[in-house]
Formats: sequence, C-alpha cells, structure tokens
Amino acid sequence: MGQCLRYQMHWEDLEEYQALTFLTRNEILCIHDTFLKLCPPGKYYKEATLTMDQVSSLPALRVNPFRDRICRVFSHNDVFSFEDVLGMASVFSEQACPSLKIEYAFRIYDFNENGFIDEEDLQRIALRLLNTDDVSEDLLMDLTKHVLSESDLDNDNMLSFSEFEHAMAKSPDFMNSFRIHFWGC
Amino acid sequence: MAQPLAFVLDVPETPGDQGQEPSPYDESEVHDSFHQLIQEQSRWVAEEGLELQQREPGAPGSGHETLLGPEGAPVHSTATLRILASMPSRTIGRSRGAIISQYYNRTVRLRRRSSRPLLGDVVTRSARPSIRLYDLELDPAAQEVEEKRNLLVRELQGLSPAQRDHMLRGMPLSLAEKRGLREKSQTPRGRRRGQPGRGGLFSCCSRLRYACVLALHRLGLALLSGLHALTPWRYALKRIGGQFGSSVLSYFLFLKTLVAFNALLLLPLLAFVVGVQAAFPPDPGPGPRPACTGLELLTGAGCFTHTVMYYGYYSNATLNQPCGHPLEGGQCRPRAGGLPYNMPLAYLFTVGVAFFITCITLVYSMAHAFGESYRVGSTSGVHAITVFCSWDYKVTQRRASRLQHDNIRTRLKELLAEWQLRQSTRSVFGRLQQVAVLGLVWLLCLGTVLGCAAAVHAFSELMLQDPVAAGQEVALLALPLVVCLLNLGVPYLYRCLAALEPHDSPVLEVYVAVCRNLVLKMVTLGVLCYHWLGRRVGALQDQCWEDFVGQELYRFVVLDFLFMLLDTLFGELVWRVISEKKTKTRRKPEFDIARNVLELIYGQTLTWLGVLFSPLLPAVQIVKLLLLFQVKKTSLLANCQAPRRPWLASHMSTVFLSLLCFPSFLGAAVFLCCAVWQVKPSSMCGPFRSLDTMYGAGTAWVHHLEAAGPRLSWLPWVHRHLVENTFFIFLLSALLLAVIYFNIQVVRGQRKVICLLKEQISHVSAHLPPLGTHLGDSSSAHLLARPQPPPPLCGLGC
Repeated sequence: MGQCLRYQMHWEDLEEYQALTFLTRNEILCIHDTFLKLCPPGKYYKEATLTMDQVSSLPALRVNPFRDRICRVFSHNDVFSFEDVLGMASVFSEQACPSLKIEYAFRIYDFNENGFIDEEDLQRIALRLLNTDDVSEDLLMDLTKHVLSESDLDNDNMLSFSEFEHAMAKSPDFMNSFRIHFWGC
Repeated sequence: MAQPLAFVLDVPETPGDQGQEPSPYDESEVHDSFHQLIQEQSRWVAEEGLELQQREPGAPGSGHETLLGPEGAPVHSTATLRILASMPSRTIGRSRGAIISQYYNRTVRLRRRSSRPLLGDVVTRSARPSIRLYDLELDPAAQEVEEKRNLLVRELQGLSPAQRDHMLRGMPLSLAEKRGLREKSQTPRGRRRGQPGRGGLFSCCSRLRYACVLALHRLGLALLSGLHALTPWRYALKRIGGQFGSSVLSYFLFLKTLVAFNALLLLPLLAFVVGVQAAFPPDPGPGPRPACTGLELLTGAGCFTHTVMYYGYYSNATLNQPCGHPLEGGQCRPRAGGLPYNMPLAYLFTVGVAFFITCITLVYSMAHAFGESYRVGSTSGVHAITVFCSWDYKVTQRRASRLQHDNIRTRLKELLAEWQLRQSTRSVFGRLQQVAVLGLVWLLCLGTVLGCAAAVHAFSELMLQDPVAAGQEVALLALPLVVCLLNLGVPYLYRCLAALEPHDSPVLEVYVAVCRNLVLKMVTLGVLCYHWLGRRVGALQDQCWEDFVGQELYRFVVLDFLFMLLDTLFGELVWRVISEKKTKTRRKPEFDIARNVLELIYGQTLTWLGVLFSPLLPAVQIVKLLLLFQVKKTSLLANCQAPRRPWLASHMSTVFLSLLCFPSFLGAAVFLCCAVWQVKPSSMCGPFRSLDTMYGAGTAWVHHLEAAGPRLSWLPWVHRHLVENTFFIFLLSALLLAVIYFNIQVVRGQRKVICLLKEQISHVSAHLPPLGTHLGDSSSAHLLARPQPPPPLCGLGC
C-alpha cells in the first residue's frame, strides 16, 4: 500500500493471472508497469481505475478506429480496473484461442448492442474503416448487401453470432489481424 | 430439402405469466426488435381486434390470437414472440453481450439467461460456443444464477487443474469472475495449503519464504529481460509490424525462418564433418601457401582454398588410424585411445542426413502453413472478410493507419468494381483482344528468359575457353557479375511489360510477376548447374573441380549480397531523396515484397546447391542474412512506405514456403543427387578421390559390412532391396499419390456438404413464419419441451 511501486504484485497473483489469461509472465508485468505509470499516485494497483479516455489514448489503441467500442466492451461501469486491462490484453494476445477472439470481435462490432450485427452496424463499421464522411450511400448499401448475401445464412438481414463465427472461421486473416501488443517492453 | 420442424414447446398462458418473479420475457429483457413489434401488436389488438379476427378463416377455438397485420405479413402473438425471442439464434448474442458484460454484481434483477454461459462450456468441448451454450429453457421455475454457478464450480472441480485453467482462459468472462470461479473450484486441500500459518513464528517464516521467492523471481525476470534484449529482432519486428502492417512483416519473418533452416543445416555439418577434420588436419600439400589478400572475401579462392571451407581439404582416409586405406581391406590398429572415424562415409552421410532433415522440416512447415491459411470455401465471402478482417489491429502509428484507411478504401472500391465487371459481359472482340495482348506479353517474357539463358551459356563457355591465371583472380568474378546484372535488370523490364497488360485483378497481377521472375531465376540456375556439372568437370580433369564449383557458389552468394545492398541503396534511398527533392508529393518508394522474397529464395537455393562442395557455406549465408536483416530494416524505416496493394498476409507465408520447397529445394536436391550418383569425383582431392562416384563410399561400406559377419546382415539387405531397388520407390510414390487423391476427394465432399447445409438453413428460415402462427394457438398449448438439444441446424434457423 502506498505509492505505486514496481513489482508490487504478489507471487500468487502473478501465478493466478498467468493461469487465467493467455499472457506470459513478462507481458503481465509489463502491463503492470504501464498501468502503474497511468494510475493516480498513492493508490494500490488493485484498487486504481483508469478512465476510458486514458485507455483510449494508450499507444496501442490511439489510432484504432474501433477504440471506443473496445473500451466499452472491456470496461465495467465505464472504468478500467487492472484486471479489465489484463483481460483485454489477453483477448488480443497472440496465444488467445480463436473462439474467444471471435466472441469479443462480435461484441465490438455490434454497435447498437442488440446481439446482432445488422445493416446499421455494418454501415457504421464501413464508415469507421473508410474514415471519411465523403462516401456515397450506394457504396455503403452495396457493401452491406454483399456482406449479408455472403454471410447471412438464415436470411434475416442480420448476422447472428453463429453466422459471424462461421464467416470468421473461414478466414485465416482474422486471427492475424485481431492482435494488439499492449505492453511497451 | 428442409423438413418441417417437429419440436414442441411448453407455452405458458399469457395472462398467468404476469405477476410472477421478474422474467426475462419482460419488456426490457426481450429482444429489442421484438419489443417494438410487441408494443405495436398490443396496440393493434386493442384497436382492431374484432375486425381482424373475422378475417381468419375457420380458426378454431377462442383466445386465438394470430392476427394478420395490414400489410398481410404474419403478425405474431406475444407468446409467439416470446418463444421466438428465446430461440438460441436470437438470444445467444444478446445474452452473452448483455449478461456477461453486466454480470450478476451489476444488475439488481437476476436474469434467467445469465445461466447460459456457465453450463454448456464445461461438459462438451465443441468448438462452436453458440451450440455449446444452447439451453432451451422455458420452465419458469428454473434454477437461479447462484445455483447454476455452483453447478459450474462442481463441474470444474472434476477436471484436472491444467484442464480447468484452460477452460477458464477460454471463457468470455471478466477476470474477476474467472478468479472467483477458480477459487471456488480449487480443491480444499489446495486451498488449505495457501492458508496463512498460525502463530507468530510461522507467519515470520512464511513472510521470509515469500520474500525469498519474490527476490528469486525478480532475478529470473531480470535474466529473462536480458535474454530478450539479446534477441534484437523481437522489438524490431514489433516496430515494423506497427508501422507497416502484416504484409511487410511477413518478409522479415521469412528471413528469420531462413536463418533457422541454415542453422539446421549447419549444425550436423559442423559437428560431424568440419569439427572432426579441423581436429585432425591433413598434411599440407606441396608448394607454398598463397598469401592472404583482401580479395578472398569476394572470390573465395586464394588463401581460403586449402581450408575446411572447401571439399578439397577433407581427407579420404579413416581418421585416427594413420595406416593404409581401410577400404583396401588392410588390417589397421587404431591409435591408442582413439576412435576410428571414416571421413568419406561421414561426409556423405552427414550431407545426406542434413538434406533429409531440411526436407522433412520444409514439407512439414509448408503443410502446417497450408492448413492454417486455406479453408474449404474460403474463396467466397471476400466482402465479409474485407470488412471484418482487413483492419490490422497491430498498426499503432498514425501515418500507417492513414495508409491502411487508404488501402481499405481502394480495396473496397476494387471489390465492388470487380463485382460489377463480372456482371457486365464483355464483347467477343474485346475478349479476343485481351487474350492476344496477354499472349504477346507472355511470349516476350519467355523470350527474354531464353535470351538470358543463352547469354549465360555463351558467357560461361567463354570463361571455359581461357582459363584464369593465378594472379588474375578478379576475372573469376565475371560470370557471377553477369548473372547478377541480369537478375537485377530483367525484373524491371518485366514491370514495364506488365504495364501493357490489361489487369482485372491486382492480386493476380502480383502472382504473375512473381511467377515470371521465378522462371527467370530458375532457368539461369539450371544453365549454371549444367555448366558446372557437365562442362567444368570435363575441363578441370586433372585439378580439383569440386573446389572450383564450391568457390563459384561462394562467389555467387557474396555477389548476390552485394547487389542486394546496391539495390537497396539505389532503389530505396536514392529514390526517396530524388522524389523528395524533385516531386512535390513526397511519396516514398514502396517496399516491393515479391521481389525481395524472390531474392531471398534465390540466395537460399545457391546455398543448398553449394553445401556438398563447401560445407561452411551455410555459415556464410547466416552471416549474410543477419546483415541483410539490419540493412533492410534500417532502409525500410527510413526510406519506404507500405505497399499500396493489399496483400493477404496469411496466404503469403504459405506461398513463400511453397516456393522455397518446390522449385528451390527440389532443384537443389536434384543437383545433389546428380553430383553424388552420376559424376566422377576428382582423383586428387577430397574424401572420394579414389572412387568412381561419391556414392561409391556408401556401397563400399555396405560390402565391408557384408564381409564383417552375419550380425549386421540386415543392413546390406536393406541397402540392396530398399535403396537400390527402384520398385520400392515406385511403391512409395504410388502411396503418396493415393493419399493426395484421397485428400482431394475429402475436400470436395466437404464443399458439397457445406452447400447442402446452407441450402437447408435458408429453406428452414423461409418456412418459419407459418410455423409461428401455429405456436400462438393456445388450444394447442400442451406441447412439451424437448429435453435434449436439437441438431445444430435447428439451432441456427429456429
């Protein structure tokens, strides 16, 4: 207790985090360091929280067009505890299993949080990817139509989790692209 | 053909539901889209109930709530909507998203659906979480969340600790919840171990123990981070990935793979051939040793000639047995305390075994990469993949992210344009014209290749005519120089020719360019191999031709490296300086991945060709690759930008590995086989100097074993019937072909099954609305829930 010191983590905690996440020991301690640099001084790291803005401005997330969704999905009550940050890093690490990544990708891409990726979500994803407001409606409609015709198997104009999972399981690029390195060391 | 759904449901009566415990079917819990529908319909029911009921023809019973909306679309009753809302395909995404992120310590009301993520996870190890978590639960008296949690904990206790941890890691719950589950499911014995000690003495001891352990751990971490600092590539690769994306990163990863392959090749050679011969050096030959000038590093001749570096240094006798030739059948007494070491045999076997290990490793990594990057049916669905997978989350630099946005925009526009183009039909004349231009360009390219091959052949014949005098060794560099210049210049010519071609698909364009460059390089290498094994051997009859070939290959490797440096300097640095000063756009040159990778493959082929004649060539290649990594990395970070053409990073490593395996390694293996089996080794140097072929050492040893006695007779038998008999090889090839055919048929069958299943899903979903109207009929309410989960098909479409 007291100032945020280096290596304040207990051995058992480290073992537990290593068992419950896909991160290695080195990575957990690096994230711990990064967390301590950002958290307010005088707080124990387990009680400190970071705001969504602080996490959004981490170097790993700064330029990501979906950073607000990532922060929303992984935070609890709009703040990040140390364990929330660890959980986020674990999902985005290289060793994470595909089912976990697909699960969280679905939540991130579900902008209106209705449990489906519908046309509105797809259009918002496309706008974020293109990063410009100067996009014709036709392009968006065309794109949405193509995506749904390829992946929507039960013809309800929405992608349920199973359909999303099926589409992503077919693509080996998903695992490759859905990775972030959060630690600076 | 879709079968009509036969499952039955227990439908609770609509008025009776209200007033019970808070149920997920309440307004805020039910699926949002149905929530609106429910409101609308309850309004319609209130307003136009009587009128609509008269519309329903012959509807039996009272309380029939199936209505038809004004548009004629089927309107479902609240009960139907509730049932539909509870279907797995409708609730899975929401339940996970809503509940797991707002788990029980967040909301006041416990939701029934929160039980969903807990149970099915543990028992079945299916790879599809949506089906695992299927739980058609409509019984209002379901267990509460706490009970479900206890059930899960009990099930976790039944697993081994490693399995439990593995299960918990893959659950999409927050870390705090996972910790709670883990604590609860740990066995009491384990928990007792962790309890704090009693009494002051114990707590002091345990504190001391913790302090010691923590100090040790800190030391271990310091060592680990030191080790990480020693591998200089980890941070560099991360930086490259963050700035340029996965496609450029794949080049550097390929470079790392090549270093590993060379190390794999070098280790057995160092251990069994080079090291042993260096420990027992042969007698130095007559005449003075040439002095070391700096030119050896380029030519490989001069003072490098009579060293472990080349074939000629190795003795043809059994080491540690300084009397007579053992193959002459003479009896020899080994030196006291020494082990006889048959050098020719060791040389032959080590090179053979090293190549065999490389072959197995290469084929295995290629198969692994194929398995990871190609899926059945992955060619369709390219729009979905572009939308969901094209943003590389690794990228962390602002400039790189801007480039990614541009790339994605271009890619999406190209995709949609391709689609439109496919829709529009081209006229016959236009297509003929396209084919004619393509044919012309290909003819030109192949003609260029033939021209280069002829030029190399002519030049090599010229070099053969006038032998190089002892002092003019620089002239030896002429042939490698000519070949390197051709390899540098002709790809630029190909790029100009490709600009004439009509290109529909940018990815195909790149693959065609790679193919052409590859053909050029392989044809050139083929001509050179013929020159060495066919012509040089004849020309250098009374000299050590193997040494010469080894030196030639060394020269090729070194000059290839120098030309790569020159290319980096002029292609990237000078280009950037010029474009910054002259043009206003300040566009940096692109990093051409295809060309760089082909150069790496070419260099590796040279190494594999030369291993037999120069056992230390892999070491030279390793040094060259390490230097190349640093140079390319520096140049990339300073001068280049990421390629504008989007590359599918996962397919690329597969393509690189298969290119490394098929033309490159296969060609080197064929060259090695020719050299070992067909060519007569020179009679005055090297480990095979008195034999007819290099393989003769092996056969001589087998004869020796036959004569040795009956104990080892299985080895000559194996040699006679399996290695020298061609029937066995035919059998192996037939088996391999059968396995390949079987796999092709399996993939074809899987594709067919996927198509049939997709059709079935769309049929089922199309038939759903009429079924929904029946579900609203309260007179048919005595329907029982099916206890076991229905097949996955229903889970998706119901």
